[in-house]
Amino acid sequence: MNRSALNIKLVRVIKKIFIYAALALAVFISLLPYYWMVSSALKTESNIFRLPIQWFPNPINWMSFVNGWQAQNFPRYFFNSFFVSITITVGTLVLASLAGYSLAKFRYPGRNILFIIILSTMMLPLEVTMVPLFLLIKNFEWQNTYQGLIVPFLVEGFGVFLMRQFILGIPRDLIEAARIDGASEMRIFVQIVMPLCTPALAALGVFTFREAWDMYIWPLIIVSKDDLRTVPLGISLFMGNYGTSWDQLMAIAVIGTLPMILLFFLLQRAFVQGITMTGIKG
Amino acid sequence: MWILSQKYSFIQRIHLPRFQKLTAHKQQMLFGYLILLPTLVIIFVFRFYPMLQAFYISTTDFDLIKSPEFVGLYNFMDLLKDPLFLNSARVSLTYVVFSVVPTWIISLGLAILFNRHIRFKNFIRSAVFMPVIMPAVVMALVWTFMYHQQGVVNVILGWLHLSPVPWLRSSSTALWAVILIGVWRASPYFMVIFLAGLQAIPEDFMDAAQIDGANSWQAFWYVTFPLLKPTTLLVMVMSIITAMKVFAVPLIMTNGGPANSTRVLPLFIYQTAFEFFDMGRASAMSVFLFAAVMIFTVFQIRIFSPGEDE
Repeated sequence: MNRSALNIKLVRVIKKIFIYAALALAVFISLLPYYWMVSSALKTESNIFRLPIQWFPNPINWMSFVNGWQAQNFPRYFFNSFFVSITITVGTLVLASLAGYSLAKFRYPGRNILFIIILSTMMLPLEVTMVPLFLLIKNFEWQNTYQGLIVPFLVEGFGVFLMRQFILGIPRDLIEAARIDGASEMRIFVQIVMPLCTPALAALGVFTFREAWDMYIWPLIIVSKDDLRTVPLGISLFMGNYGTSWDQLMAIAVIGTLPMILLFFLLQRAFVQGITMTGIKG
Repeated sequence: MWILSQKYSFIQRIHLPRFQKLTAHKQQMLFGYLILLPTLVIIFVFRFYPMLQAFYISTTDFDLIKSPEFVGLYNFMDLLKDPLFLNSARVSLTYVVFSVVPTWIISLGLAILFNRHIRFKNFIRSAVFMPVIMPAVVMALVWTFMYHQQGVVNVILGWLHLSPVPWLRSSSTALWAVILIGVWRASPYFMVIFLAGLQAIPEDFMDAAQIDGANSWQAFWYVTFPLLKPTTLLVMVMSIITAMKVFAVPLIMTNGGPANSTRVLPLFIYQTAFEFFDMGRASAMSVFLFAAVMIFTVFQIRIFSPGEDE
């Protein structure tokens, strides 16, 4: 009797050890690239590949940040990335919530067909349409322009889908009541629907910003002028330059990740919610 | 929300004359169309039209200079005989299978752990989530550095008394190096979705199973897992589509090499179009990729199905 109780306890302890060991391993693997990026950025060039490996940079070399930042036109690339990402995010929030409201709360012929068309583009990878999209932008003469970087991504099927699902949950009575009170349709949208959508908007906003900040293939195709390069293009260009030192590359990598890290720590809930929402069902 | 609806509920009972309702209804319809319009225009012009256009271009010979010349199914027939294309298709398939299966296992495993009571849960969860935050290009850069012959990955292998691996330099290991990063990035992403699915399952169910004498493995297998089925299906479809689209990481890390061993299909499409300027051939490849993605998208739309109107 005593023995089996002891056994159960032992099994429980072993189980706990396994769980925490697995978690520790997961944390180690998840954070190692971050640690390595930051610590290498702070090493002097000669210490980067020194053996035995240097876990703590000594001496600390701050200059890699300055030199890396100045090696390319990074201030401009950061401005471009912020400008493009913010515009896309704002555009998505406005257009997706308008479209989602329309699809959720208005009745008109063709609504379901239109919704299915929008849904069908949701998972259409850019890799499939990049050639015709490039030709289209070329015809518009939008290569090397901000509108070429922004307009095709102002709204995506996913955002519309997400907002529609969320707005479906808002009681129709609220909207009807405001109508009878004499509020205009636009006012109902701005003053009643939008405020109730705050959690969905926060999640969609963070999600969209992250995707826009990450965008690589599209700028690579349509941008050739240095003035219009975004951060990912700048980083890959810097990486391709012969003889770029690793400490400067890691410094730029740190700076390029910083906006995402700030966003994550400021809006962690919305960040995670945005991903959870890619998993919601209709 | 319910307070507002309470406040306004009496208004509903007010009777409106019929004709007024009708015009109001038409006005509403118009407003509904109007606010959908900008989104429709963008999606038609920049998504739907290019999608149709891809089919047309795939039947032409087009190098951006001369005007496109119709060649029927030539591009498709020729691709099926092209060892480089077949190699790319094989690399993509390998990437998808071997990145997606470990991702499912790891993401579900982590979600199960986080669904329990553990210490420092918030810290650990944030830490494990960090790979999702790193931009793809930064990820490619940092991992290239870590995979260096004298890099940190080989140092860690040294601790385990394993000999160093020429990760990105050898055609037999480069694809595995890229796959490993894919798993690193995707696992926490899908963990979040699995965790949301797990948290939607009432705890009573598990308790009931345990009272009935099921051990925790049985409780998982017979109670949790069946209830998690919709989430699992969704994660499977989404992860497969994501893996099919991988592009930036192999482009930056290896540019498809060594010896074409990491030339996934999207990368090959990009190179055919924008390095060899063979738009017809690139579009034909897109159509193949499209067909593959479509199979899974149809599956996904059925999971996502539009749902009922209110």
